[in-house]
Amino acid sequence: MTTAERLVRSWMASEKDSEVDESVAGISSGQLTLLDIIKALGEFLTSEEDRLRTKGEHIAHLSVFLFSVIAGVEFLSSVLGRCPHEKLNRQAIRVLTTFYCSKLEDLETIIPALNGLSYLVKFPNIQSAEVKDILNAIFANVKMRALVQSTRFFVFSIVNSLIASHRDTLKEMGSAFLAAYVNLAVGEKDPRNLMLAFAIARVLLVEFDTLAHTEDFFDITFCYFPITFRPPPDDPYGISADDLKQSLRLCLCATPAFGLLGIPVFLEKLTAGSPSTKRDTLHAMDTCLPVYGPAVTRELGKKIWSSLKIEIFQPTDPDTEHSALNTLQVLLRTMHADKSQDAVGEDSITGLAQDMCSECMQTLKEPEKSQARAAMKVICAFARANGPLSSFAVLQAAELLIRNFHDPDEVSNRAPVVILLTELIDACRGDVTHASVSQSSQSTLSPLAASKDALLGLLIVSLKGPATCLPALHGLNALVRTPKLVADDELGYIVLEVSELLRKEPDEVEDVTMDTLALLSTIAGIAPHHLSSQTLPILFSFLPDVAPSRDAITQRASYWRALSSLSALCVQPQLFEILVVRLIAKLDLLCAILPSRTIDQEGTAAYAHAILTALANTLDVKVSSKDVDVPKYAEQLLPHLFRLYLDAALASSEVVAIAADPRLLQVGARIIRLVSQTLNVAGQEKLVAAVFAAYTQGDVKLITGGLLNSATPFAPLHLNASPRQRNSFTLFSSTIVSLRKEVRMPVDNLSTFLSELVAWSDSPSSTIIQREAASHVLASNVNKHVDDVSDFLTSQLEGYSSSALKNTSIPAEARKNAISTWISITRALLVRSHPSANAFINHLFELLDDNTVDWDAARAIGLLASEDVVLTKRNDAVLKILHVQKYFNVVMPRLLEGAKGSRRETAYLVALAYLINAVPKAIYASQMPSLMPILLRGLDLVDPSIRSHIINTLSNNIDVTSADKDAVSMYASTLVLAMLKNCMYSEMPDPGVRVAALKYLALLPGTVRYDLLHPYKTRVLKELAKVLDDPKRAVRKEAVVARTNWYKYSG
Amino acid sequence: MNGEIFNANPTVYASKRSARKSKFEAGQSLWIDEQYQPELSSESEVEPIDEDEIFDLIRFIADPEHPNSLEELRVVSAEQIKIGDNHIMVEFTPTVPHCGMSTLIGLSIRVRLMRSLPQRFKVDIRVKPGSHQSELAVNKQLNDKERVAAALENAALLETLEKCLEPVGGPNSR
Repeated sequence: MTTAERLVRSWMASEKDSEVDESVAGISSGQLTLLDIIKALGEFLTSEEDRLRTKGEHIAHLSVFLFSVIAGVEFLSSVLGRCPHEKLNRQAIRVLTTFYCSKLEDLETIIPALNGLSYLVKFPNIQSAEVKDILNAIFANVKMRALVQSTRFFVFSIVNSLIASHRDTLKEMGSAFLAAYVNLAVGEKDPRNLMLAFAIARVLLVEFDTLAHTEDFFDITFCYFPITFRPPPDDPYGISADDLKQSLRLCLCATPAFGLLGIPVFLEKLTAGSPSTKRDTLHAMDTCLPVYGPAVTRELGKKIWSSLKIEIFQPTDPDTEHSALNTLQVLLRTMHADKSQDAVGEDSITGLAQDMCSECMQTLKEPEKSQARAAMKVICAFARANGPLSSFAVLQAAELLIRNFHDPDEVSNRAPVVILLTELIDACRGDVTHASVSQSSQSTLSPLAASKDALLGLLIVSLKGPATCLPALHGLNALVRTPKLVADDELGYIVLEVSELLRKEPDEVEDVTMDTLALLSTIAGIAPHHLSSQTLPILFSFLPDVAPSRDAITQRASYWRALSSLSALCVQPQLFEILVVRLIAKLDLLCAILPSRTIDQEGTAAYAHAILTALANTLDVKVSSKDVDVPKYAEQLLPHLFRLYLDAALASSEVVAIAADPRLLQVGARIIRLVSQTLNVAGQEKLVAAVFAAYTQGDVKLITGGLLNSATPFAPLHLNASPRQRNSFTLFSSTIVSLRKEVRMPVDNLSTFLSELVAWSDSPSSTIIQREAASHVLASNVNKHVDDVSDFLTSQLEGYSSSALKNTSIPAEARKNAISTWISITRALLVRSHPSANAFINHLFELLDDNTVDWDAARAIGLLASEDVVLTKRNDAVLKILHVQKYFNVVMPRLLEGAKGSRRETAYLVALAYLINAVPKAIYASQMPSLMPILLRGLDLVDPSIRSHIINTLSNNIDVTSADKDAVSMYASTLVLAMLKNCMYSEMPDPGVRVAALKYLALLPGTVRYDLLHPYKTRVLKELAKVLDDPKRAVRKEAVVARTNWYKYSG
Repeated sequence: MNGEIFNANPTVYASKRSARKSKFEAGQSLWIDEQYQPELSSESEVEPIDEDEIFDLIRFIADPEHPNSLEELRVVSAEQIKIGDNHIMVEFTPTVPHCGMSTLIGLSIRVRLMRSLPQRFKVDIRVKPGSHQSELAVNKQLNDKERVAAALENAALLETLEKCLEPVGGPNSR
């Protein structure tokens, strides 16, 4: 027995893959040939006649025989599928082709035969004669409707492969092939097969002469439009509706011949379909219309327009409307595609386009009506369709609207006219930016160029009217943003007129300040010189040299309005420089040290504070947008600020020193931090050297740029420094926190410095802002230079913990402050996942057992997980990802255990509430069911902040997962009662808790099944009716929402 | 509804920004920074229900015919609300004098206020004098307790009403 025979026989017996593998290996190595295998299979495949004659009468034998034939063909096909392509010569292929084709005649062997053919056609040696034989055999014998999906798939793959490799042969077969193929493809429903069928159809339509079969192909493609297929949930082939849509669309737009047949189908689907069908149809038209060509679109254009008109003028939804407008644009472009671009005359515009335009013009004659907006959208589509069309429509519309504006009978409609014109201007700009550079650089000016003067005049006039002012500002904004339309002197004119608006007291009803500033900011980017000469002087004139008196409310309002306007406008570098200079001068005047109390101190401080805030706000915007001019203000702004503040700090307590006010110091610190953040290492080193010289050695010359000379020694870190000097430490701290890791502190021993700082901060005279400043310095240094401060950390853990933290003999207040210091050090270690953080955390846990400070310790455990302002990316802190999760995973089990029944459970509960409120909900979402009872217990605690933390946590988690919904449902009734109690003014004096409880109540109807809460509906509505009379507006607002939701809550 | 559209092409106005004055603007504080003028925690202070608050309640009600709010169609406005001692008077202006939706609009205002105001208030809802052809009938219907209650028994009507009342606190509410 030969190898081949052995393999064949054992396959027949076992049908194991190993035989196929072995055969393939044999063929690959040349020990076997495919022909050997066919010969070996011969007895199973060919001697049917004899067998039938001899054994045919026995049904059992017949089926055995049939089985062997099928199995034999299957074996051959499997081997063929994995056989290396070069191992089959022409002759072998010839034999196989004839063999398989003969097997197609037999219904039993058709499946493996088609499978084999699908492999065979991929062999490179196959000749055109075989190709024809295969196809003819398939066309003659294969009845697609009788076959299952997977078998039909073989047929499509065979055709697909042949098209890929033997296109010319198929072309030779010509019409016969096309007709026969259509016959095969018709009626196919399976998505996997359709993907192939669409790909085949696309090639045939594009490359073959299908003109005679247009209708046939139309039938096998357009019948699938629109695709409504939705893939089953566990679709193994992963074919999405979009895949099908894409490939079908490629067929639909494959030939211009479909135009006359296809467009009516589209229009029918557009009129009758659902919104998603409409959009699908419109997208298909977008791709098809350009292919179908100008002649067809012009012929059917009228019908298309009337269908599109409905979608635009009576839109079903904004998306569909948008798509319809897009299609309209495609239609316009296609209709005029064969007209030469140079012909500007109106004769190149089709009658239909003219009709469309005049229809819209009719509607635009009533600009205040909602239809006018739709008409304007059509005109905007014209405007974007470039060429003569654009200027044709735009000119007409602009002319009509401008005429309407000046019509004395239509004065009341000026606002809508301006709004419509604004849309037009925007649309025209879109066109200009869209066009290619070469085109826009020379020829195409905006189609509005001709009406620019009229437009400008109209918009300026509109600025004066209260109703038209706002739309006019938007219009001007659109106008100035159009490139190369408005000349420089015209910009100046606009700035002049618009700036006048800032001079006026803002209208109570229509406040246009925001939009005025938006327009001026746009111009600031193009031509800042107009603003510096015309706008800024007006705004500066609102800033008095002395603070307004206490009862001058309007003056106060107007200086703040001017400052916010300045702050918004002066982001541009040139303008910002002016702003800094002017505001510094103003501050110098306001903050001058005065020997006696001749001025209103608080009023002046508030005014100076407003000026500084405006400066800080602008800087904030500039730093966020990474403006490159910020660092230079380390030289131009910071010395002035330091001089101002340090001068005040050095002043004796008898004299008035406005800049010594802690509130002013806070803004100053903010400005310093912003500038310091943007400096490079060298700049920061210079700055930090200067502040250290001032704060540790009393040498203020460097930091104030030589502006300050004082006889009084500056020593804020000295233990008996004056409160003013101590307060100024805030500025020092704000310089330090944003330093980069590479910048070293100019001190001999950082540990000693930090220890001294802790002592300074623990001094009994220190205030909260001083302690905060100190803790920021501690946090920043421990975080960035942890290796330099190991001595400090050890002394904290070993000495400070017992001398301050747990020292019951010192006042509770001092211990609470010590906890705050402790938090900042611990957090600095925690965010960089430093191992010593755990020792610090353990001390906090020990404090939970201490009656005096247990709540503070509990709060501290929560605070460790919350964000803070010092340790941020912007301040170049060392942050490890997932540090919150790590902390949570360590602390949470301890808290859960403690909250479950230790004698200090309240403290644990508080810590838990704070911790959960601080971390993102994804961290604890999975534990929600076990947390629920504990949180509910926490609602009984008296402290309002704990309650609102817990209620907020509950609200945040009400909708996370379905599993949680169960958790909510289980406690639903308890929750309803608890929340009702917490939203009553009589029971809960804190409005924050009432708001939180009401928000939660409003969420319940959307989450919990109605039948669970049905018994409470009447009661909730009745109780909430009382809350509607709450003294606080914010509470009433939430009560309205909650009560409305409960009204709608039904089974 | 019988599918008839009473005003197919109504005038749409821009909706105003609602802005309450901050304490600084109202002259109650010297400081612009909110941080120095605590907002919610001043527990003693009572903020009475005022015209603006009533307007905030009804401005976002959807028009039964159009995808616009009552404010955008100028059916209601802040000036048309008067508030007295436990008495509120709301006037509204139908877009066209023959508007068959007027009763429905009035009813939706009535229901919203019924659900959102303390019971101590008596609410009168009227069509702006001279703005509707059957002004008296509409006014009578809207201010008759029995008739309002009867209307709310009608399930189909209630469903239409709930649709109008869908947007509670305007575009930025949940």
